[in-house]
Amino acid sequence: MIKHDVVVIGGGLAGMRAAVEAAERGADVAIVSKMHPVRSHSGAAQGGINAALGNTAEDTPANHAFDTAKGSDYLGDQDAIEAMCDDAPRQIIWLEHRGCIFSRLPDGRLAQRPFGGAGSPRTCYSADVTGLVILHTLWEQLERFNVKVYEEYFCTALCTEDGVGTGVVAYNMRNGQLELITAKATIFATGGCGRMYAKTTNGYASTADGLGIAFRGGLPIMDMEFVQFHPTSLKENGVLLSEAARGEGAHLLNSLGERFMFKYAPEKGELASRDVVSRAGWTEIMQGRGIDGCVLLDLRHLGREKILERLPQIRELALDATGKDAIDTPIPILPGMHYTMGGIETDKFGATRIPGIYAAGEAACVSVHGANRLGGNSLLETIVFGARSAKHACEYIKEIGDVRPSERTLKAEQERIDRWLSKNEGVRAPQIRAQMNKTMSENVFIFRNEKELTKAVDDLLEIRKTFDRDVYVMDKSKTFNTDLVHAMEVDFLIDAAMCVANGALARKESRGAQARTDYPERDDENWMLHTLAWRQDGQNPRLDYSRKVTITKWAPTVRSY
Amino acid sequence: MAQVKLDIFRYDEAVDAVPHRDTVEIDVPITMTVLDALETAKAEVDGSISFRRSCRSAICGSCSMNINGVTGLACKTPCKSVMNDDGVIQIDPMPNFQPMKDLVVHMDPFWDKYTRLKPYLQPADRDEDHELERRVSPADMKKLVDAANCVMCATCYALCPVVSVDPSFAGPAAIAYAYRFIEDVRDGKRKERLAQINEDYLWLCAHCYACSYCPKHVDPHDRIVDVKRATIQEGVMMDHPGPRHALVVNRTIKKTGMLAETEVILGTVGRFNFRAQLKVAPLGLRMAVKGKMPPPFLKPIPKADEVRTIFESLEVPT
Repeated sequence: MIKHDVVVIGGGLAGMRAAVEAAERGADVAIVSKMHPVRSHSGAAQGGINAALGNTAEDTPANHAFDTAKGSDYLGDQDAIEAMCDDAPRQIIWLEHRGCIFSRLPDGRLAQRPFGGAGSPRTCYSADVTGLVILHTLWEQLERFNVKVYEEYFCTALCTEDGVGTGVVAYNMRNGQLELITAKATIFATGGCGRMYAKTTNGYASTADGLGIAFRGGLPIMDMEFVQFHPTSLKENGVLLSEAARGEGAHLLNSLGERFMFKYAPEKGELASRDVVSRAGWTEIMQGRGIDGCVLLDLRHLGREKILERLPQIRELALDATGKDAIDTPIPILPGMHYTMGGIETDKFGATRIPGIYAAGEAACVSVHGANRLGGNSLLETIVFGARSAKHACEYIKEIGDVRPSERTLKAEQERIDRWLSKNEGVRAPQIRAQMNKTMSENVFIFRNEKELTKAVDDLLEIRKTFDRDVYVMDKSKTFNTDLVHAMEVDFLIDAAMCVANGALARKESRGAQARTDYPERDDENWMLHTLAWRQDGQNPRLDYSRKVTITKWAPTVRSY
Repeated sequence: MAQVKLDIFRYDEAVDAVPHRDTVEIDVPITMTVLDALETAKAEVDGSISFRRSCRSAICGSCSMNINGVTGLACKTPCKSVMNDDGVIQIDPMPNFQPMKDLVVHMDPFWDKYTRLKPYLQPADRDEDHELERRVSPADMKKLVDAANCVMCATCYALCPVVSVDPSFAGPAAIAYAYRFIEDVRDGKRKERLAQINEDYLWLCAHCYACSYCPKHVDPHDRIVDVKRATIQEGVMMDHPGPRHALVVNRTIKKTGMLAETEVILGTVGRFNFRAQLKVAPLGLRMAVKGKMPPPFLKPIPKADEVRTIFESLEVPT
């Protein structure tokens, strides 16, 4: 049986940062990941990571915190936001000292670029491959500390005894064995759940795994209705074109050739926060000023040299997908599902309500992003809260003795898998996923209303029941059975989608990424509350609004850009 | 829409003695990538088709495979660029790896090559000496940027003919990653790193340029040349055959305008290394018998001074 003091589920930025922190503190730590860590989707992050270093203009962590609170449409918990922004410069320097290849200013200090919703250029970057270079730096640290990685192990369930976390069950993809992994502390860093939607900037592997596991393990999922649609994704395949493009000065144009953003955000224009830009772009398209269902991202005036130096990846991604070269042609783009502000509820140390269970990164909801995340804050969150959760976990494991998970969960998981494998007819997971994708994309998109949300909630409940009753796995092999793994992923995704749709239907206001056409105003009187969703077998989640938003310095006020 | 016929290598290491092939027919837009075609085939036709994938935007490095016999990222390859007139696309696992299931291979030997590099920054000074970031000029950082684009997809490793005959060769990807530290002004182990990569058979690279085909334009071949050059510049491992071979080839051509093979052999194994000379002696004898033995002393070609001028103009001034 596998046994470690701290087990981190997920090998992306948050997971690796947590593991390195635990290793530096001398803990016996291991990573369990369904992929090799360098394959994680954190590597696809392009634009940068925020920290108020003030290298190119006056800046302070307090300014950063204010921008983040405002960007969150005042739903972010300001104590957590301040903690993150205060820690940001230290974490960036930590990464730099470990060899991270950041772009530089002529004097050798870290370069910083402007980003949406930020009052100062505070986004550190490495051309447009920032996620990749940080991912590699952290993986290098895993090698340095010789951290054990259970690679291609798919975590399926959480074990608790007497209300305390004792480990997880994981499926070894290489030989088809389910294994019990004992851990005094478990940190979920499993990333996002973009695959709820048909078109998303997320990779195939962003499938709500940790979220689904925590939800089934009795933890609440918070603020899932806040789904960020990135303003600039490619129509062809949903692939992301970084906000760095606009940070470097790219324009958004409609079919009339107008820079339409100034109609919606007179001061910031293209560099308003993402929810604002996405709504603006979609409005232009809906009102007939789009081109084939898109608006245009125009980089031409930046010039070949700057594009090749600072934005080479997005130029190539656009070229591969559309055949258009951004150096001399505007690229058609549209808003696409990008990020979930919500996730496993944690406190500002990354701890959940079950002792010994932590969450960090996109899988978690602290909440620092509230109703809308600013660009460059997601990478920051992974680093800050990856480290914080591990720090807290390392203190926690000193307090408790040995833990021993019972075989109960292992047996239940084995039964779940055997049931799917033993059937030879029914419905396969990809078909169920397609139904979920359809209803989410049609009914829980940028602009929402009661009728469509009710349809989504009903559809998803039906989809949930169909899955539970009829799902079967076609591949019976014990070797690298991705058909089975994908079915487990879809199982988790349906849970996540139900949280999104139910939360969106219940929240009768417009705030950040939640834009209700039937409730167009923000309602601070009634809705300065987080949404907590609790799982109920085969039913819609139970919603609970007992957690109030924490305000420290900035009372909600009119939000304009 | 077009009909695409995916002709796929099928194998399960747990049950199959030998692999077989399946053809899956699907209707997809021809602009679709090979990866999305595989995904469609798996979702709609045969759930047991196995392959790795994640980002589908050429940044995670998961989906490297052989497409019509050429290794590349499936997510970066449109069907229309590889299907033949009958719509057939042949898909196989990467070569130079042990297949596990279908297109999934055992990657461990590839990762081991990185582990041997001690692939993490080892600065000469302490972090505490730097209150803020270590200063690095944009020019010094730029040297690392191309290598930093590597997504570890192993395409170059799969394409490398040296790896196929000698798996102990570090391979292009690891050497490019070593370069990333060797050229990092913040690192304090330049010489140790050069020595280590030399130990891992750096000089086995035959400069065939196969690894110049890199989906991320890292061009590991050029990095291999850079690392060899740095080895000689730093005077690391100069008693080893690799650097000596390079230098003696250089010297004889510069001197005579020709490759003085006898001198190259002696220079490579060592003029006074009699044991090594005895080892190559049988080969020399066989060559002599067949009349293939080059003359021990070569007369320079006419206008050898012009060759020398070329060399001198390319040499780095010391």
